[in-house]
Amino acid sequence: MLKLDSKIPGGPLEQKWDTHKFKIKLVNPANKRKYSVIVVGTGLAGASASASLAELGYQVKTFTSLDSPRRAHSIAAQGGINAAKNYPNDGDSVYRLFYDTIKGGDFRAREANVYRLAQVSNAIIDQCVAQGVPFARDYGGLLDNRSFGGAQVSRTFYARGQTGQQLLLGAYSALMRQVGLGTVKLFARREMLDLVVVDGAARGIVTRNMVTGEIESHVADAVILATGGYGNTFYLSTNAKGSNGSAIWKAYKKGAAFANPCFTQIHPTCIPVSGDHQSKLTLMSESLRNDGRVWVPKKEGDTRRPEQIPDEERDYYLERVYPSFGNLAPRDVSSRQAKFRVDEGRGVGETRMSVYLDFRDSIKRLGKDKITERYGNLFQMYEKITDENPYEVPMRIYPAVHYTMGGLWVDYNLMSNIPGLHVLGEANFSDHGANRLGASALMQGLADGYFVIPYTIGDYLAGSKLPKVDASHESFRAAENEARGRITKLLSVRGNKTVDELHRELGKVMWDYVGMSRNEAGLKKALTEIPRIRDEFWQNVRIPGEPNFMNQELEKAGRVADFLELGELMARDALHRTESCGGHFREESQTEDNEAKRDDEHFAYVGAWEFKGEGKVPEMSKEKLEFERIQLATRSYK
Amino acid sequence: MSKAKKINLTLKVWRQKDQNEIGRFETHPVKGISTDMSFLEMLDHLNQQIIHAGGDPIAFDSDCREGICGSCSTTINGNPHGPDRETATCQLHMRRFEDGQTIVVEPFRARAFPVIRDISVDRSALDRIIAAGGFVSVSTGNAQDANAIPISKESSDLAFDAAACIGCGACVAACKNASAMLFTSAKISQLALLPQGAVEKDRRARNMVAQMDREKFGNCTNTGACEAACPKGITLENMARMNRQFTSAWLTARVR
Amino acid sequence: MTSRSGFFSSSVGKKYLMGVTGAGLSLFVLAHMLGNMLLFVSPEAYNLYGHTLIHSKFIYFFEAGLIVLFLLHIIYGVTLTLQNRAARGYRTYLTTSGDKAVTFSSKTMIWTGTIVGVFTIIHLLNFKFGAYYEIVYDGVTVRDLQRLMLELFMSPWYVAWYVFAMLTMLFHLWHGVQSAFQSLGFRHPRYTPGIIKFGAVFAWIVGLGFMSQPLYVYFFLN
Repeated sequence: MLKLDSKIPGGPLEQKWDTHKFKIKLVNPANKRKYSVIVVGTGLAGASASASLAELGYQVKTFTSLDSPRRAHSIAAQGGINAAKNYPNDGDSVYRLFYDTIKGGDFRAREANVYRLAQVSNAIIDQCVAQGVPFARDYGGLLDNRSFGGAQVSRTFYARGQTGQQLLLGAYSALMRQVGLGTVKLFARREMLDLVVVDGAARGIVTRNMVTGEIESHVADAVILATGGYGNTFYLSTNAKGSNGSAIWKAYKKGAAFANPCFTQIHPTCIPVSGDHQSKLTLMSESLRNDGRVWVPKKEGDTRRPEQIPDEERDYYLERVYPSFGNLAPRDVSSRQAKFRVDEGRGVGETRMSVYLDFRDSIKRLGKDKITERYGNLFQMYEKITDENPYEVPMRIYPAVHYTMGGLWVDYNLMSNIPGLHVLGEANFSDHGANRLGASALMQGLADGYFVIPYTIGDYLAGSKLPKVDASHESFRAAENEARGRITKLLSVRGNKTVDELHRELGKVMWDYVGMSRNEAGLKKALTEIPRIRDEFWQNVRIPGEPNFMNQELEKAGRVADFLELGELMARDALHRTESCGGHFREESQTEDNEAKRDDEHFAYVGAWEFKGEGKVPEMSKEKLEFERIQLATRSYK
Repeated sequence: MSKAKKINLTLKVWRQKDQNEIGRFETHPVKGISTDMSFLEMLDHLNQQIIHAGGDPIAFDSDCREGICGSCSTTINGNPHGPDRETATCQLHMRRFEDGQTIVVEPFRARAFPVIRDISVDRSALDRIIAAGGFVSVSTGNAQDANAIPISKESSDLAFDAAACIGCGACVAACKNASAMLFTSAKISQLALLPQGAVEKDRRARNMVAQMDREKFGNCTNTGACEAACPKGITLENMARMNRQFTSAWLTARVR
Repeated sequence: MTSRSGFFSSSVGKKYLMGVTGAGLSLFVLAHMLGNMLLFVSPEAYNLYGHTLIHSKFIYFFEAGLIVLFLLHIIYGVTLTLQNRAARGYRTYLTTSGDKAVTFSSKTMIWTGTIVGVFTIIHLLNFKFGAYYEIVYDGVTVRDLQRLMLELFMSPWYVAWYVFAMLTMLFHLWHGVQSAFQSLGFRHPRYTPGIIKFGAVFAWIVGLGFMSQPLYVYFFLN
């Protein structure tokens, strides 16, 4: 059993972070340059952390598996970023943002972390504007806001439909400024293959140079993982092709606890699958639900064209079921409702596996130009992919795997249970509970990187006595050898199935049994199917090519091998959590009108899993969630 | 509703094992391609076929496959990102091609973009241009309130248009001179149009142009190929702005 | 902090220089073309115009200026081309086409420029340093350039070459004139379409103007 100390500071909620910042140890400016920090990942969290730490004076080494830090998948976030600025004067406040986030997460997140997130949210907007992020503005020259799911105020700042891109380019430019100054050493096209722990503390990583195949060791005084989520376990998701869970999985196998692995967000508005060739799914921003109305025909198996179906024969089901939030019901709720409609046989499109998102009424109300201004690039993207014009025909959408709320367990300082190993952004579990609200991922990534880790890492470094270690240390040698051994093993299988084929098989099992709606029988089935596919993988995978050149099949194989283990842990966690909460819907635990039924008495905790060795069943420890300020309530959007 | 059909194609693909090898074209027939596939999904399909036949799959960069990360670097029949304007390779769909067509697939070519393998090239030169000045020198925590300086919607929109650059390098690949001016000018423009970035606009223009020249990109001759190839519609207006800024920075600088 | 490399060795500076010298040369060819139009008026008008020019106080100043413009434009043009070829690097490269194609004139500047350069040298040898005939108008002896021109334009081959060279110059100017505006930083969505049209009109006026002269002489004066 792990001892999970969340290190939440005492005192009233509003003062915890300030008190903590004052109490924690500082590294004096002259000493900062004596400390080195490794940052893996260059998304919002990784880039902002790298830049901020380097600005403070630490020596930073930053790693990305892509050819440039600017390509990290934060770039694809479309809709916006939340902050409690209350510029629109509609009653927003830090407390309301905090409350909405906790409630949106179905009361499975830590109060103190979420409150801090809401507190620093405003500084993020300030910082980004100062960096030259071109947020949308009104004619008076001030910032514009829009509303997002799960909130009744307009608190989302946006840059057309490319907010993630603009925020990431801001963080990237801050990072590149430090690279130019020589304070950050950038390692592109490097994949982390292992975490190295020396005397119980994280002291470095082993990487593979994806161009030359070289296995390299990198030593530091602390390691930060900001490697994103593991949604690609499902094969089809809105994640980038290269997004993977390997870095956090390697850390898990070195002793870091993996918290709430089953909490997966299925995003309601994605372009539906068109065929077996599909390599990934494309998201249509949630912001579209500000002006689009979701509907299906009232009649089952209605095959008329959408424009032939009169209004009285349409079921605007989100507006019907959730009159107060309507089309802006949170993601988990909207996704489930879409699934119910399709299961009822009222889905639309050729495969009958989608629902309509219709802009007819808002085009009538606002004019086509206004809609183009708001969503032009999204409409264009939709048309490119589907060959249908959304100005004339309603969009067809269906839920798809989008985000993983689960991740490595961290304390209030964002440090995992391995001293020195810090985890930021989507890779950790901390702020979104069982469901993340729209426009909150960007907020969390940047909060962690700009405003939390620069303080808390100092506390760790100043408070630890770290022996001098270099790459010749036996732990590094052993990790390198293990990494090389695994590559040799993968290449020597020489079987008959490609990595993609096996990954697809895993994805299908995950989607069918560990997807939007889960039950005991299905999860048990997944727990036998996943090991079967894993065994087949190790006996029958075919990886062509050599280890010492660029070898993309080898890269994929390493990641899929890890997904094949991670998927099992997700199923195991989903099986143990017999309540429904947020994105985790257990069919056994629902109300009469098919809403998720939480079980606060038995499940108001974070389930953190500990690796116990290959082939052994992992062990779960619990961090009980204490709510001082919030009254646990049934989450209703009706 | 769907207009999808199957087509057969012949692909002539650039193969090159690493930077040191001299490359060559390799011909592959691909059959039964759904017109709903994206160009990269078609390459995925071909790669599966190659692996099953015992060959080495074609290496190519791709990540988001939503046209925003800028990873894809494919020249299709001589056009970076293929025939469509304002479309990255990953957003290009096979319905754009005819049954029986031969498609030539090459990497983004330029001396400053050495080939790593097949279609994958090294574009780190673009990162170094940004590192030379493509930022606002503001450290974390230094910012004032976001609404303290109003910015006209026009400037803000223009800045956004320039900031939409995804750094893919198609402009360089399309240019007969392999010039990186469109890329460089997009960042110079974005930051110069905003009051936050205008503070150091002279220094930025000089340093970024100097780095661009050090990376051995070619010189612009205003053919406009870059603008036509840009998947994000970055315009030549940005380049004119860069020319003005660089010139005025040089004229007014106190240090030569 | 500041990069110390000189303005004219930077890529933007080189562009600027090509733009400025090109603009100067464009004005020169326009003036030259308009002056030559006097041959449509009378041999006397044409010859007296030439006489006035040659005996102007500023002639050496202008000639020196022109030589500098020509040399800079040529030296930088050739240097840029060599650097650009090297920057491209690969020879198997296919060129952009369809919706992404660029104009013929913009792709061929070095070739049209070379032809115009060769033409200029021959032109100077044939006219400025060619046969020296004299003629007297009202007691003033002036050079009879009109006669020299009639002799040269008697040959259909010479006329054909002249017209061809002027056609290449037309293409050179077609891209060059509007391109100079861009290089000097003038681009604006409201004015640029006009500038592009202006460049084309300018090129056609200068090109057709120059072409009309040998053709007129060949068909109507011989």
